Amino acid sequence: MRGSVAQGVLRRLLYALIAIVGVAALVFVLLRMVPGNPVATLLGEHADNETVERISSSLGLDQPLPVQFANYLLGALRGDFGESYTLGKPVSELIGPAFVNTLWLALAAALVAWVVGIACGLFAAIRKGTIVDRLFMGFSLLGVSLPVFMVSMLLQYVFARYLHWLPVAGISDWTGYILPAIALGWGSAGSIARLVRSSIIEVLQQDYIDTARAKGRTNSQVLVLHALRNAMLPVITLMAMQFSGLLSGAVITETVFSINGIGRLSVQAIAGRDIPLLQGTTLLCTFVIVMGNLAADLLYNVCDPRVRKGA
Amino acid sequence: MNPSENMNVVSVAEGELGLSSPAATFEEPASVLRRLAKDHKISIVSAIIIVLFVLGAIFAPVLTPYEYDSINLSDRLAAPSLAHLFGTDEGGRDILTRMLYGSRVSLVIGIVPTLLSVVVGTFIGMVAGYHGGKVDTVIMRVADIVMSFPTMLLAMVVMYTLGGGTANVFLTMVLVGWAAIARVVRAETLKLKESEYVEAARIIGVRQARVILRHILPNCLPTVIVLFTLEIPSSILTESSLSFLGMGVQPPSASWGLMVSAGREFLYHAPWLCFAPCLAIMAIVLAFNYLGDGLRDVLDPHLQSQ
Amino acid sequence: MDRRTFIKSAFAAPLCGLLLQGCSSQTDRAKRGRLTTATGSDMSTMDMAHNDSVYWAQLNIFDRLFETRMVNGKATVVNSLCADYDVSDDGLTYDFTLREGVLFSNGDPLTSSDVRYSFCRLLTEAAVNTDIPLQVLGGQALMDKKTDKLEGFIIKDDTHFSIVLETPNGGFIAQLSSAAMSIVNECVTRAAKNFGKDPSETIGSGPYYVAEWVPNDHFTLRYNERYWGEEPTVKESIQRVIPDASTRDLMFQNGEIDIIDLSGIDSLIVQRSYKVEHADQIVYNQQIGMNYLALNETNEFLKDVHVRKAICMAIDVDDIIHNLMSDDAIRQNGIIPTGAWGHNENLEAPPFDPDGARALLAEAGYDNGDVSFEMALPSDGPRLLYETVSNQLSKVGINANIRVYDKAAWMEKRRAGEMESFITVWMLDYNDPANIMAVFFGSPERAKNRSICYPNTDVMARVSAAQSIVDDEARKREYQELERKIVVEDHAWIPLYQGMRLFCIGDRVESFTPFWAGYGDFYVKDVVLRKEARA
Repeated sequence: MRGSVAQGVLRRLLYALIAIVGVAALVFVLLRMVPGNPVATLLGEHADNETVERISSSLGLDQPLPVQFANYLLGALRGDFGESYTLGKPVSELIGPAFVNTLWLALAAALVAWVVGIACGLFAAIRKGTIVDRLFMGFSLLGVSLPVFMVSMLLQYVFARYLHWLPVAGISDWTGYILPAIALGWGSAGSIARLVRSSIIEVLQQDYIDTARAKGRTNSQVLVLHALRNAMLPVITLMAMQFSGLLSGAVITETVFSINGIGRLSVQAIAGRDIPLLQGTTLLCTFVIVMGNLAADLLYNVCDPRVRKGA
Repeated sequence: MNPSENMNVVSVAEGELGLSSPAATFEEPASVLRRLAKDHKISIVSAIIIVLFVLGAIFAPVLTPYEYDSINLSDRLAAPSLAHLFGTDEGGRDILTRMLYGSRVSLVIGIVPTLLSVVVGTFIGMVAGYHGGKVDTVIMRVADIVMSFPTMLLAMVVMYTLGGGTANVFLTMVLVGWAAIARVVRAETLKLKESEYVEAARIIGVRQARVILRHILPNCLPTVIVLFTLEIPSSILTESSLSFLGMGVQPPSASWGLMVSAGREFLYHAPWLCFAPCLAIMAIVLAFNYLGDGLRDVLDPHLQSQ
Repeated sequence: MDRRTFIKSAFAAPLCGLLLQGCSSQTDRAKRGRLTTATGSDMSTMDMAHNDSVYWAQLNIFDRLFETRMVNGKATVVNSLCADYDVSDDGLTYDFTLREGVLFSNGDPLTSSDVRYSFCRLLTEAAVNTDIPLQVLGGQALMDKKTDKLEGFIIKDDTHFSIVLETPNGGFIAQLSSAAMSIVNECVTRAAKNFGKDPSETIGSGPYYVAEWVPNDHFTLRYNERYWGEEPTVKESIQRVIPDASTRDLMFQNGEIDIIDLSGIDSLIVQRSYKVEHADQIVYNQQIGMNYLALNETNEFLKDVHVRKAICMAIDVDDIIHNLMSDDAIRQNGIIPTGAWGHNENLEAPPFDPDGARALLAEAGYDNGDVSFEMALPSDGPRLLYETVSNQLSKVGINANIRVYDKAAWMEKRRAGEMESFITVWMLDYNDPANIMAVFFGSPERAKNRSICYPNTDVMARVSAAQSIVDDEARKREYQELERKIVVEDHAWIPLYQGMRLFCIGDRVESFTPFWAGYGDFYVKDVVLRKEARA
């Protein structure tokens, strides 16, 4: 049985690798299909023709595509992802700090999502069918339904512009994380709440809950000890997958709140046609998502005795 | 062998074996509606809201005296008034008018690409699930790649490559959307493949395409319909996000996301630019979500725990 | 208490009182002597050999031999690192004397050799900003690596040197004040591995040095104690990278930034809110630059001068200036903009006259809707202006179809000379007509690279030659005559307007002088903080 688990993990790792290389190739080809010379954008209005040509060749942009891709892969293996055109620094130096910012934002958002999501789901499940249930579920559904930019703008308007409690944008200190974390976390909270609610309702209908009740456990004991514990399995899986999504999906939040993270870096890279930078950010995000999915799978395998036996 | 002949043979065989596929018990729309009306009143309200939006989109030219794309510089950023119920934008265009026309774009982008990805995803998922083996592996690996790509980033890269515009938004959404559907349908197909009547049909030599069409597809349909309804709002959200970043629909076409994006600059000084399109996005997405939830409970209760 | 204040205090009291009350006075103290600003995008490098679009770092870290400063409201070239200079009668040889006692921020003294190195470096790096040093005798040979010396740069001693030009250039001194001609520390720069990116290796003699640079996030300047000039009130400047104009707007309103460049914000908003709420805090400056409509003369319709003139007459520039720019712009009729040396006040454009335009088109044999061409809009371009112009042209029966291009594709198409028409702005780097006339009409290649494809080679040869006229008056006359020919007779250039650059200063700032050319970048030393905000 151990062998099969190890094999499964190995196979998944292989798939993950294929996905990452596939994405790299896809992005590389796609970005180079677009007409236009990135150097021209970089140099701007005042550069003359000779200058553009001189700099294109110094960046190796006049070489054939396969040569460029090979060079890129070779570099990537050594940890060299090229130099950003627009920001003039090695890509690895740029995405490092940006990823740290994104990581903090994702952690803060996850905190919001998990606390709010589980609490809402739990209360809604206990009070199933009542007005409390409707309210909490409506609140979560609203989180899923509102575009992130809308929530972000609303929060900025109310808490920063109007009440002056929190900074509008940027993260000079921890208070800068509060609004973006809420904006980003609410949506995830919505899906967690819905899942928690349905899982708990399902668990509460199972026989062993009745047994527990019969043994004289109080309602809250039953809830915490049995229902929540057993309902958490799919929730944990969802949370792991969501976290990797948060790490890579903060494009809009980071743009609106001007956080120098991976998402905003990607948007800037696209606007400036900064191919090395965009390649770096997409690869990183893919890596994070693939690893998140892998972790979710493994977590599921470890937690769920049925899956463990079945495999 | 003559194909039509073959078909006769098979139906006879099926009849003899008493293999009525559960597709026959697939509910009539009317009964679905009745059940929705009984247990999920909010779904009915949602459906009405959706219909209203659709009507607004269709009859936009009748409902408003203005053109959606003609600039009127002397009437820029006018606050809501009787002449302009929701005010005017930075080019002096009537917001209500742009919103009505924008609902065409937003609804079409919400529905058409979703339908396409559902069709493509369902087909691919059924083939992968039914076929198994190498075909399955390859398809699922490709789906993995698509799904391991952060959605927004993939959409951004594709939109960037193709350039902005409505048609390209379509293509992008299908490219991004099919994989998730394919996965669910494949799982469903795998389950159905094990069922007795499919196995029996295979044993008696019914052609693959026919098994898929007659037995697998009808049984996947409830799931697919629910997925479809629930994917629409996320498509609308994706479109609005893309347009918000300036990578979706291009002006002078109007879409809600684009209007919010343009209005964002004015949020603090002329909030009416954002207000109406934001409200519209919220209403339509909530409506589709509630409708999808209702349909799921009625059609396909077991999806709920997924 | 009105409802707003009530809600505000009801919420604010319990939460914020606890959190923020205590630290507010502390942050005020820490902010003393600090200026916070915001920019839309970060620079790629501080190196002028590789960056010719964002001059924030160059203007503040380095000095030049000359600076262009606003003196009594006029852009004037004044001495900076150069204490004195003299030109020979043939206009070829310049003798310079350096200011005594100038130190770089690391303590090294400034010498003639640093100046020569700064000139040579632009040529040996061979990236951008090569056009000014290329005029020095032997510049081309150095750039082509045929020699390792700049022949026309002769050092006499530590503070005296001469520059010999290839051909005379009346605008040379003005050119030396451009940010591209910043003087670097030879010793440090030669040894540097990462000049322009690593702050410790990027050393100038200017009022500030770089304290910290987190790319894409913020850029911090601190006062250089060794600076030779007057000590500024701003001791530390933090420029944050905030891509969205609306966010910058909000940050200004929230007191998070001290000066905001209003160019990203719609003029009507500026008029309705800033000009009302901050009426006495608005500081403005003409942008020495020209917003123009370019028409490609290789296009089958646009090659006809009647069509070009009709387009000129169909555009209601005054409507645009009044309603789109809220009158923060000046109508332009020529190529050399208002405020630039050589500008011609007396040039007259054809009046706005849609009927006349229609008649002109009919005369040329075009019916309603016959004339049709594409207006290429870069993705970050002025969409509303394009839509307005397109709308106005449609009223005389011309179809100007807007098509959006990604910026890189837009540049590429224009460079290839294939763009049918576009609207953009050209900002002057130095105060001389050569910096705009020669760029667009200096040679057939240049006219093609700008997708104007002007066919008159005689005129272009004269534009190119005009630069060498030593007598200022004669040179000005020649430029103005050529300008009249190109704009009034040929309608090869449709001038629109010159924008104003508006800034709004916050409560902590007493006064501020924008850069003469109306850049978003400015000299931080030109900001004076209020007494209570000073360190």
